[in-house]
Amino acid sequence: MKEMDLVRDVLDKQVVDRDETKMGRVDGLLLEVRAGQPPRIDSIEMGFVVLARRLHPRLEEWLERLRRRFGVSSIRKTARYRVPWSAVKDVNPYCVQLDVAALDTPAFDWERWLRDHVVAHVPGVDS
Amino acid sequence: MKKWMQLALGILTGVGGFFDIGNLATSAQAGASFRFQLLWSLLLGTLLVIFLVEMSGRFAAVTRKALPDAIREHFGFSAWLAPFVVLTLVHFLVLASEIGGICFALHLVTGLPAAAWALPVAVLTWLFLWRSTFGTIENSTSLLGLLTLAFVVAAVRHHPPTGELLAGVLPSLPHHDPAKYWFIAVSILGSVLAPYLFYFYSSGAVEDEWDSSYVGVNRGIAFLGMGFGSLVALTAIVVAALVLAPRGIQVDDYHQAALMLTDAFPFWGFVLFAAAMAIACLGAALEVSLSMAYTTAQTFGWNWGEDLDPREDARFCLVYTGAILLSSLLILFGIDPLKLTLVTMAINAAVLPFVAIPFLLLMNDRKLLKEHANGWISNSIAAFLLVLSIVLAVVSIPLVIVGGS
Repeated sequence: MKEMDLVRDVLDKQVVDRDETKMGRVDGLLLEVRAGQPPRIDSIEMGFVVLARRLHPRLEEWLERLRRRFGVSSIRKTARYRVPWSAVKDVNPYCVQLDVAALDTPAFDWERWLRDHVVAHVPGVDS
Repeated sequence: MKKWMQLALGILTGVGGFFDIGNLATSAQAGASFRFQLLWSLLLGTLLVIFLVEMSGRFAAVTRKALPDAIREHFGFSAWLAPFVVLTLVHFLVLASEIGGICFALHLVTGLPAAAWALPVAVLTWLFLWRSTFGTIENSTSLLGLLTLAFVVAAVRHHPPTGELLAGVLPSLPHHDPAKYWFIAVSILGSVLAPYLFYFYSSGAVEDEWDSSYVGVNRGIAFLGMGFGSLVALTAIVVAALVLAPRGIQVDDYHQAALMLTDAFPFWGFVLFAAAMAIACLGAALEVSLSMAYTTAQTFGWNWGEDLDPREDARFCLVYTGAILLSSLLILFGIDPLKLTLVTMAINAAVLPFVAIPFLLLMNDRKLLKEHANGWISNSIAAFLLVLSIVLAVVSIPLVIVGGS
């Protein structure tokens, strides 16, 4: 078994999908503490709300509240995205690779929304 | 041979990042007010920036990561946040200054007010980024950037006095206006050691898919690219010293700077100046916009790359779109472009420790860089740079207040 330092080798690392499309960073890590057994990694977290929590827990509350009040329904869920550790395909010096397609995940909600609502309307971009 | 084609990245960084509106403004002021006496400041900046750019390229070639990417990964989001915000603000001010420079060049040749050009220039810059690939931007800017050699030709035509030139290589105390002297000295350093320059260069190296085999070539590119930019800036000081200073012309407006080339090129001088200014600023505007988008995308892990279709990296493209639009508004609302530039250069100098320290620490990470980590020469330069940057950070803002007007 390969040794891995969670903070050094996993946290803040670039996350890519099956096709190596960049889809975010490991903004947070969730551990599951189990009775009588060693803790294990439950999932990785991505999104602005997760980043806010790392700065200050209160910031996370504020953001969460703001998002609920003003968020557009189509993009609301993007602020926090959890991926179970079982979906992690590889951890290498460059990135954490997930066995998903970025476009189908909430991590790409903004990307998709901006592509369809903004970029597609720019003259010269053929759809 | 193919690797040496990468010299284009060096010249792009040299034209866009080195010889840009900041260097043009500070060189013209330095020459007009203090003749050759501030050459030392430019040469010191050049030496340091060659090392910085070499390190940044070496880092990208060995790790295949650009700086914002690697810094967030290694120091964590919370530690990177402050430098990231500072870097973004500086990018924004520099971008506005460059757009102001292009607008002013167009004002010179058309007579229309600079503010009227703000939106057309913004659209043109954006269109260039939206439609073209990284290679096209590199090559066209490098090629057109050769126009700035007009300053070198002019300097040679004026037969500068060698003794006085050499005397300027060593720092000396000013005979008049000490506050202005030190303000310009710091602004020159700020314009040469611009943070976006080495941040951009590392992303550029990743765009060009460098690997460890580029370490040697990178050294040459850093030296030649930055050397090219420095030569142009140096000759701009010389020309200003020989054309503006004897007539007692102080540069407190770009109009006065525009007279620099008219002695060496009686008929074409004016247009040549405007063209060189426009191309240098356009190169820089492209580079700074990209640099802003690279930094943001890498910080949050978004998909990025100038060669991708905007539909594949919408967020990346919209960062530079928004940046260009917002910064052109500053010019549209009539901010004085020269004042904005000079203050921005001093701010560049002030933020240097923030953005340079994490970078220089990473250059010593042997786990990451292995045998390519900094050796004692690079580290001596880095240590010197750190001390200098802290001094600059402390003195630059007070100097803007006492010497900047």
